[in-house]
Amino acid sequence: MPKVFITGLGFITSIGNDAATVTRTLRELRHGMVLYPPFQRPDSPVKVAATIKDFNTDSLDPEDWIYPDRYRPRRETLRSMGPNAFYAWCAMQQAIEDARLAEADISNDDTGLYAASGGAPGMLGHLLRRMHTQGVMRCPPLGIVASIAGTLNFNLVAHYKIKGASTGFSSACASSSHALGFACDEIERGRQKRMFVVGAEDGNMDAILPFAGMRALSLQTDPSKASRPFDSARDGFVGTGGATALILESEDEVARRGAKPYCEVAGWGQASDGHNVAISHPEGAGLASAMRRALRAAALEPSAIDYINAHATSTPIGDISEAKAIRAVFDAAGARPLVSSTKALTGHGLSLAGAMETGFCALALRDGFIPGSAHITNIDPACAGLNILQKTEDKQAAHILNNSSGFGGANVSIVLRKTT
Amino acid sequence: MSDETNTTTAPAADVQTAETPEQALRNSLKRCSPATVEAALQFRISRDPALVPVIVIGIIERYVEPDLRPKLRDNTDDVRLIEDLGIDSLTMMEVVILTEEVLQVQIQNDELRNLRTVGDIKVFIDCKLRGLPLPKPTRFIPIEQIAAVMPMQPPFLFLNEASVGSSGAQGKYQITGEEFFLQGHLKDNPVMPASMMLEALGQLAVLAILEGALPAEPGSENRAIDPKTIYFTSCDGVRCHRVCKPGDLLTLAVKPKRVHMPLATFEGSIRVGQEKAVIAEEITLTFGYAEAPAPAETSAEQSIT
Repeated sequence: MPKVFITGLGFITSIGNDAATVTRTLRELRHGMVLYPPFQRPDSPVKVAATIKDFNTDSLDPEDWIYPDRYRPRRETLRSMGPNAFYAWCAMQQAIEDARLAEADISNDDTGLYAASGGAPGMLGHLLRRMHTQGVMRCPPLGIVASIAGTLNFNLVAHYKIKGASTGFSSACASSSHALGFACDEIERGRQKRMFVVGAEDGNMDAILPFAGMRALSLQTDPSKASRPFDSARDGFVGTGGATALILESEDEVARRGAKPYCEVAGWGQASDGHNVAISHPEGAGLASAMRRALRAAALEPSAIDYINAHATSTPIGDISEAKAIRAVFDAAGARPLVSSTKALTGHGLSLAGAMETGFCALALRDGFIPGSAHITNIDPACAGLNILQKTEDKQAAHILNNSSGFGGANVSIVLRKTT
Repeated sequence: MSDETNTTTAPAADVQTAETPEQALRNSLKRCSPATVEAALQFRISRDPALVPVIVIGIIERYVEPDLRPKLRDNTDDVRLIEDLGIDSLTMMEVVILTEEVLQVQIQNDELRNLRTVGDIKVFIDCKLRGLPLPKPTRFIPIEQIAAVMPMQPPFLFLNEASVGSSGAQGKYQITGEEFFLQGHLKDNPVMPASMMLEALGQLAVLAILEGALPAEPGSENRAIDPKTIYFTSCDGVRCHRVCKPGDLLTLAVKPKRVHMPLATFEGSIRVGQEKAVIAEEITLTFGYAEAPAPAETSAEQSIT
């Protein structure tokens, strides 16, 4: 089977809107949380979100949006987009520049795109309100395209003229890891030579606040304490949005183009909890199974993994399940990989999380560092026994494993290998 | 990065506050020119159809990419929605929804299919508001069909394609260099003769007459025009601005100015790209009706669905 490499990255995240800034903030452990203005209302006990800086997409009219000068979308491009699709459009642009792809490399039968987002709930609400107040025939013509869960693939495939495989993935917070796993398969099976993998979320009031009802969000009012995975005082996740675009290419394409990869995608695995619609398995059974499958796919022993970028979102139950899953897989083999959750810095990007964190791991492998798990004062005793790294270290990992888990107990693990 | 508050504050998003009809209208038109907004406000009071062109052009302009907007500055009736302004069917729906809202009219899907130019839209809305029957749609006529209906035939037919609508006809002709008259016009310097340019405009006017672009005279609504009765009678105010040579693509346009049996007077123009080539203030043709009445399906009323 041909090897698969990551050759391009693009980021619009709460901790930076390009790879260089993201690398710096991961090294310096600077977080992206703020007191988000739309949350500062008396009926919302949730105050903190991890916002995208230098953008403002809170208006329901894309022509009101504010964004950096380097992006010049035409009205024709914006009209079918919610915030997540626009962030993704920007991240794609960066990834293409980063990988130095020519136009012919992007638009051909051998290049596809897999994407993941939860859609644009704010836009959908607006569409329905308009239908009810102004009349059925006054719905914005592209309201559906801009708001339903496939909006990323609809928009990106059209605007970047993608001609190969394309679809969207919907497994909540595991979605973009699923997208990456299946994109990897497309290349390994020889169906595609190159795949774009994109995760994105709105990260605004309508996308985040409904999670308050299930008591999943942190009620902390101090932005620097709100997201603290593995800490005994953690009280829920902090929502975020943005986008990450990754470019995967076959080894033949890498050789043909003379591309300089970040790392290799060594393998991936997935498994389901079969347990609860929204609560993770208490022993992390599905996630443990996903990690074992990813290791098997990469033909690696647990001891080969130097670092695990945990899914750990800073919820009381989820972090413990993951800690148990990691111990089950690695303790038995006598392995003690470093563990951290970058969600302490970024917040939880939902469908975006897997792609964003795989992007972080690719940066870590290329630049020789391992990001720390910020904001821990007291490690939760239930998470004890993990080799949790609290400060970013200059250390070259050979293999990194990235976990993602979503609603319904969907779990995906991805193994990345340093390029020799 | 770790600012305690987000520095860019959000514009008020979709707040459902009670607004006056004027505020609602201003809000709907917030990206249109001030002239459009003023015309729309006046229209709400007077319902004067004379305000409609400004409003409709203003709404269209708002949906056109900024680099294409200059095309709406002058001579707008012939500007094509898809080819010239890049308006696709989805943007067209946005234009329609805003127009419906501003002018308080209802537009049906099947009424939109035949609107190809800005002029078509203006005429269409005007008819809607005045309660007049809708105009005949602009129809594209390919070369085969042109040759089938025209009295002129190759090598003396100077139209490659044409479209005919209620506001006149447009055509295209590419000078190939193979035209017989270029052998002698001019020595070592092939130039389309001005008389032939005028001939091409005249031919487009003939096509416009045969394809029903003339407003029907009262009492003659169902009578067909006999191609054998059409001849050139006069022209006036003809000016040539540009030499046209092999390779040039001529864009021809004629519009009826006056019809009074047996004379029909058109104004005409030829452009090459954006450059003026020929202007004819008046080209007058004579025409006559065929003996038998026209078949029912070609009558104006019945062609409207």
